[in-house]
This record gives sequence, C-alpha cells and structure tokens, in this order.
Amino acid sequence: MTVESDPKLVRTVCPAHCGIDACGILAHVKGDRVVKVEPAEFPDPKYRRICLRGLSSLEMTYHPDRLQHPLKRVGKRGEGKFERISWDEALNSIAGKFESIAQKYGWPAIAWVLGGPGAGTTKFGAYLRLASLTQSTRVSAWGYGDAGLPCGSRVIFGTQFPYALLFGGLLAGTAEPEVLVVWGANPGESQPLNLMRPIMNAKEKGARLIVIDPRFTITASKADAYLGLKPGTDTALALGLLNVLFEKGFQNESFILRHTAGPYLVRSDTGQYLRGKDIGLEQKEEYVIWDSRTDSPRCRGNTDGLPALNGSFHINGLACKTSLQLLMDLAAEYTPQRTSAITGVSEEAIVKLAERIGKARSVTFVTHMGFTRTYHGDISLRALATVAAVTGNINATFRGGHLPAVLNWKPFLHANPEKPSYSRLGILQLYDAVISGKPYPVKAVWFSFINFLNQCANSQKIIEEMFPKLDLIVATELFMTPTARYADIILPVCTYLEFSDMIAHPYPYIQLQQKVIDPLYETRSDVDIASGLAEKLGFGKYFAGGEEAFVDLILDSKDGSIEGITREKLKRGPMPLNAIPEMDQAFDIPFSTPSGKIELYCERLYEDGQALPVYLEPLESPVEPKGKKYPLSFVQGHSRFRTHSMFANIRSLLELNPEPLVEIHPQDAASRGISDNDLVTVFNDRARTSLKARLTEGVRPGVINIMQGWWIDQFIEGSVNHLTHDVINPVQVKVYEPNMHMNDVAVEIVKFKGEE
Amino acid sequence: MKQRFGLLIDQERCIGCEACTVACQKENGASQGWIRVKTQEAAQKDTPAGSFPELRMHFLPMLCQHCERPPCADACPLGVIVKRDDGLVVLDVEACDGCQTCVDACPYEAIFFDDDRDKAEKCNLCAHRLELGLDPFCVICCEGQAMSFGDLNDPGSKIAKVIASRETFRLKIDEGTGPGVYYRPPKRPRGL
Repeated sequence: MTVESDPKLVRTVCPAHCGIDACGILAHVKGDRVVKVEPAEFPDPKYRRICLRGLSSLEMTYHPDRLQHPLKRVGKRGEGKFERISWDEALNSIAGKFESIAQKYGWPAIAWVLGGPGAGTTKFGAYLRLASLTQSTRVSAWGYGDAGLPCGSRVIFGTQFPYALLFGGLLAGTAEPEVLVVWGANPGESQPLNLMRPIMNAKEKGARLIVIDPRFTITASKADAYLGLKPGTDTALALGLLNVLFEKGFQNESFILRHTAGPYLVRSDTGQYLRGKDIGLEQKEEYVIWDSRTDSPRCRGNTDGLPALNGSFHINGLACKTSLQLLMDLAAEYTPQRTSAITGVSEEAIVKLAERIGKARSVTFVTHMGFTRTYHGDISLRALATVAAVTGNINATFRGGHLPAVLNWKPFLHANPEKPSYSRLGILQLYDAVISGKPYPVKAVWFSFINFLNQCANSQKIIEEMFPKLDLIVATELFMTPTARYADIILPVCTYLEFSDMIAHPYPYIQLQQKVIDPLYETRSDVDIASGLAEKLGFGKYFAGGEEAFVDLILDSKDGSIEGITREKLKRGPMPLNAIPEMDQAFDIPFSTPSGKIELYCERLYEDGQALPVYLEPLESPVEPKGKKYPLSFVQGHSRFRTHSMFANIRSLLELNPEPLVEIHPQDAASRGISDNDLVTVFNDRARTSLKARLTEGVRPGVINIMQGWWIDQFIEGSVNHLTHDVINPVQVKVYEPNMHMNDVAVEIVKFKGEE
Repeated sequence: MKQRFGLLIDQERCIGCEACTVACQKENGASQGWIRVKTQEAAQKDTPAGSFPELRMHFLPMLCQHCERPPCADACPLGVIVKRDDGLVVLDVEACDGCQTCVDACPYEAIFFDDDRDKAEKCNLCAHRLELGLDPFCVICCEGQAMSFGDLNDPGSKIAKVIASRETFRLKIDEGTGPGVYYRPPKRPRGL
C-alpha cells in the first residue's frame, strides 16, 4: 500500500529474522528519507507486530559507519586498510581473478558462502543462479549451527524440518495442548512473535508449560516447571522419560502401529530390518511384522493381521525383535536413578514429567536449534521426537487446506538447463577444502549475508590457517565487520528499505518487501551485485529485470498455493496462500523415510552404533567435571538484541545491553574468586576471550553462557567462537551435512590478568 | 462519567523484551525510552531470584502512572505538568526549565532528565496519537501482547472489564496518588 500523503507511507517487510519469520512494516517517508517505521496492519490483526530490532532498524540504514562505496584492500589482511574503488573496477577485478583461479583449479575452486539471507528470497536466489551458471561451489550454511536439526529429523521423519510435525498445530492455532514441553529452545527471547505468542496463548487456555534447558531463560520464567539439565545430556533425559513411559504402559499403541516402524522386525545378526526375502516371503523387499493372530511372520500391509508391537522371535533360524522392542530394551537401561545421575535432573522430576506426558490428552513439544548444537545433537532431536512419537504427540495426519509456499530456489538454479549446476560443500567442509584441498581445493570465497569469522567455529584457525590459503576474499557488507576486515574487496550493500524482495512470512501470508528509498551512497542490492558480476562473466541475460523479475520468477512458479498472487497485488498488502480444495481433508502423512513411517530405529545407522537414539557423551561438555582441565560447559544463548551478529552496533540497543557478559553461577564464581562485574578470561586450548562477568543463578552450576553475536571488536580480546571447535561428526556427513557444535565446548575461567 | 485513560500491563505475558522502551524512544524522539522494564527482585537485569533450579523472574514495565493526584504536578513550580480531564498527566517539555523538582517528587521514578537539553521528560501516554484515535505506540509494539490501553471509567471497555473481573494491582497506592496504570500479576507456577 502506497498512500500519497505527507509523510508518504510505504508498506514493506523487515526480513531480519533468519529465514523463519518476518514482520510487515509501514515506512513513513519524508522527501527521500524514512523517518519512522511501525508495524503494518494485517487482515488478521494478530499478525500486526514488530520487535525491538525492527523498531531500531532505521539506525542501521542511517548508521554513520555504513560502507558507502566499494573498497580494495591496501594493507595486510585484517589490518583494516582499504582504498575506495569504483564498482566497475571492483567487479572487473573480481571477474578477472575468478577466471584465472578457475583456469588453474577449475570453477569449483570459487565458493559462494551464503549465510542466513534473512527471510529474503531473491538475493539468495541471485547468487545461487550465478553459482549454478558458473558451476562453482555453493557452500551451504546449514552447518553454521543449524544442521543438527535436519540430521536428526531426516533420520526419524525423513523431513528437513520437524517443526510442522511437532508443533505445526500450535503455529496454526489449531492445537490445544494440555502440556507444552519447550526443550532446548528459548522462544521467549529468540522467537517471541511467531512462537512465544502462541505458547502464551496456549498457556492462557490452561496448558501446563514445562521448560528444559541448562539456562533459566525468559521462556523458563513463564514455565509451570523448569528442569535445568546438564548440556548435552538431553538424549539421556529422553531415554529416562521413555523408561518411565514404557514401565507404566503409557505408550500410544494405536499411533505406533499406524504411523511408526515400531512393529517392523529387526534382525539381531545384521541390525537391518527383516525383509520378505530373508525368510522366503513373496514380497521380497517388504518389511516384515509378526502377526499375533496367526502367530507367524507376514509382510506389512496385510490389513487383517495384528502386528505384534514387542517381543523376540526366531524365524527360520533368524533371531529378530520388533524395532519398538529394541527401543524398549534401550530405555530399560535408563532408570530414573541412572538418568538423574547423568542429567542432573532429579529422579522425582523425571518420573513426574513422564507421567504428565503419558497421561495428557495432548502434548506439544517445541524445540529449535539449542541442543542440536551439541556434537550428538542430531540424536537429541531424534530422542525428543521419539518421546513425542511413542506417546502419539506428532501431527501425523495432514489437515491443511494449503501447502505453505516454502522458499523455493529451483527456478533460480536451472537458468541454463543444458549445463550441470553447482557443487555443494557444507560450511565445515569448507575449512578442509581451503586448508588441505580436500575433497577439492577452494581458492576464492564470496561472503554474503554472513559474518563468517565472527560466527563460525574456531576463529583462530580461520585467521591463521584458512584465510592465508585463499587467493581472493570478497565480502558484500553493510559495515566493516570482523569478516569484512579480512576481505580483499568489499562491496557495500543495501538495507531492507533500499531493495525489493518476496517474503513468504508470516505463515500463511506472502508479503512484498517493497523498495522504500533508493540505495544510499553507492550501495547496491545483492541482486544488482550478482547481476553486475554476471555481466562481466558473460551471463548477464540471466539477470535481466533485476529484483522485480526475480520476484515474478517465484510467483510464476505455478505452485497452487501462490497461483494468482502477483507483485502488483502484493503492493497493496499481504496475501494469504490459496487453499487447495483437494488438500482440505485429513490423510496420513507418508513420511519420506525408507519405510515411509516414523523410524524409531534407523537401519542405515546400525554400523555407526546409532540405529536407536542412543545417549553418547558430549564431545567436550564435561558431564563429570571433577578433575578436568576444562571443567565448565560453555553454551551460547541467543539474545533479543541481535539477530546473530546483526544489530550489534545499533546505538539504542547498546544502551539497553552495552557489552558482552559471561554468565556464571555464583558457586563457580566464588571458587575462582570472581565477583559480579569483574573482568575475566574464558579459555581452553584453542584460545581465550576476556569480558565482564555476570553472576547469576540463571545458569546451572558448571555451565557458563555468553550470548552469541557480539563482534570480535566488542570483547577485550577473543570472542565466543575463538573458544569453539570445528570437529566434524561423520554420522552427520553421512545423513546430511556436518554441524558446528557451539553448545558443546569445555572451558575454564579466571580473573583477567591483562591481554595476551 | 468523564473519560479516564489508563493502561493495563499483564506480567504473565510480559517477556521483558524492551520493545516498549525502544518504541517510546522512537515515537517521542526521546533521549531514552520513558518506559523501563525492571526485572523484579533482581540485582541485575534479566537475572532470576531464588537458587538454581528453584527460580523466578518477573518483569515490571515502569512508566508514568498517570496518577489521579500527581505529586509531580503539585511540585512543578512552573505548573508545566498538568492533570488533564481525560486522565493523562502531561508534561510540556518546551515550557520546562529543568529544575528537576518533579523528578524528585515522583514516587515511581518515572520522570527522566535529559542532560543535553536540560529538560524533564516523561510518558505522556502518546497524547499526540490519542488525538488521532491511535493507541499509545508501546501498546501496539508490545511483543508479548501484554499491554492494553483504554478508558478506565467506561465499564464496557476491555481494560475496565479485566480490572473488574481479574486480580490486578497498582503500585504504591498508599502514597495516595491514585495511579492509572494497572498490573496483572504473573500466574503462580503449578509445578510438573
């Protein structure tokens, strides 16, 4: 909606959240300057909203430190000495360098490291298109803390995200849970609008809220009960809950039969699901169940049989158990006593929580990326989902009238269908590609929407081993971030008010992020930058029409949910996704696991010892700290004052939250002679960081927390990611992509004695 | 009955995000937000009271209480703080001479002092927005949907209905100020 008045009002979208949400914004413009932003109206008023970052976003657009024109490095990398150059010179020099690197090492040696694009679509799509056309390397940002979640979800559900299955009903407003379990997530601070509001609404309607977290978070402050477990022991807690649930017979057998692979038999000798061919049945590749009616094995799918849910069987000399039985055997080892010893949660709380979950008519489990940022966090996600599945608390039946139009990059990728697309590396795999040339050498990186050095694991390694091996570093940036400081060429970009994009949020709406003002200074949008470089590389025709053409490319994708939604109509306001008539009925979700069911047991991970959601100790977080060189578990919470490292330099937010703090329990502080507000040094074998201490009961003894996202320059020395490690979990590589394990780090802390 | 505008703030829904503080600062071009979120019982912001894991943390947004009998108005030697007929207590910043008598007189510490301009500042309940029929800016920007604005004297208003039917409290009522800001206390945790 554009209203001609003084000030002029332009509707747009603040896409600052990391791809999961966005707020409609009404920008007030006087002359060529935006003077105010406010939450824009929605057809359904509950979607009218803004957060403290959105409210302060004009400070970003008009920030005195904004990069204004392209820069070329003239000093040493990291020294911060740059010289102004023209766009033409910048793009020519990048294109020339790309071509010479490609000649020597091949195009895959050029890597596009694209971080969280916010909720934006076209700016991400533009770089993917360029990566695809040049057949270079796209570095996926999933491993930048988020890959643990899909690694777990893919195993048990077959889907990239578990959200719709676990709490889709809560988001859609259709669920009325009796119990809400928020586990390893802090939506009260990190997703207040799309997630905490429905949680509080459900609580108002009577839901009991239980929060499980090593930190007493804002979400925990709203809870009826808080369980403060040791970091990285979530799987043990889940197994302890399963122990009590099975012991007391709280499993939901009809759900397990209908939606899970629980009744399928597993061979004891190979650990693989028994197939028809193994015992001479006609349907050779089919899974086998034990039919209790006839007391004989049968292939699944016979409607007149009654599959046994548990038990051991000998069939033609093969020892077998149902996969549910294997899970029950594992859970039997996790008595409340043993679980309490591992997790630090009391036996009484474990039993009571299990009973509460078991007896409730409906339980909604809410989680996000917190516990999946541990080395075995993928298993933790599976363990939580297993508790939900065994008790029938999964939305396994689809009842929607439309499918959400998810971010769909496909239209961008095959601009030239004759040629293959890009190569793909996970972000942790980039380290090796650059440092040791494995699986192939990467010699140039392009950073967009990512403050790589600040936000990725093991900063010292990046500075000392990775960056020196690169022939070219390009960063598109708003500010001279710690990463930009190491770039050879910096290209200044726009803030959200200066370019157009399509935003598929908040569900079920589509919004147009309308350009409100022209780009300030010499800044350009990412789409324009990609387009300019494409021109130099001979691919200009694939970028004709700029941002608007790319928005149309998505809207014209013929997806039934967005059919008829046009850019012109979106200028007037948000549009809900179309209902698809034939979708408006209930049907069982076919899970995209190999069996098509929720897999409590994954045969593919048998040889890795992870077919079941086994509890494995964290890589570093000391579960038993006594006598350890680094006895403290270090975790990184997410703060409302930043979206990752964005907004860390915004004045009005800094007034409310001026500096990094390390939160430490008073017991741990006392034994180290540390008082509130003391300067301290947190360290391990990798590096050290120094900052101010905050004594609080709000972290579990043995745990310290530093909110992530502060820039390296804002610490006395070091930063959060100087302390983190880049160890790859091979099972995650096998399943999907390796994750960074920011919440699985061991440290010690002492009073600050001066910089190193 | 004449109007008496006021606020209702629900501590059960306040997530302490401070969007109200930023919203106020932006809307009023203020040196700082005139609504401040206090973490109750805590030595430091955003830290809980109690001992791990038996903890509690509640947020209390503090702002001008738009008192029935505002001590700040009585104290102001120039009479630039006025209790209006519609319940608002409004400070005319331009007329303020910076004597700070009002800052000391307010029992709620809700009047701020802008050192740069040498002026007292406080929440005027977005009087400029009310004239246009709009709610105060902090109310529409509240992330937890914890704030409501309305006419306390209209028994049909949403805010008056909640005050009549639910447990609410006002701050320092024994000071005799008659605050126009009502709070709903957080619910007691029910345990596992």
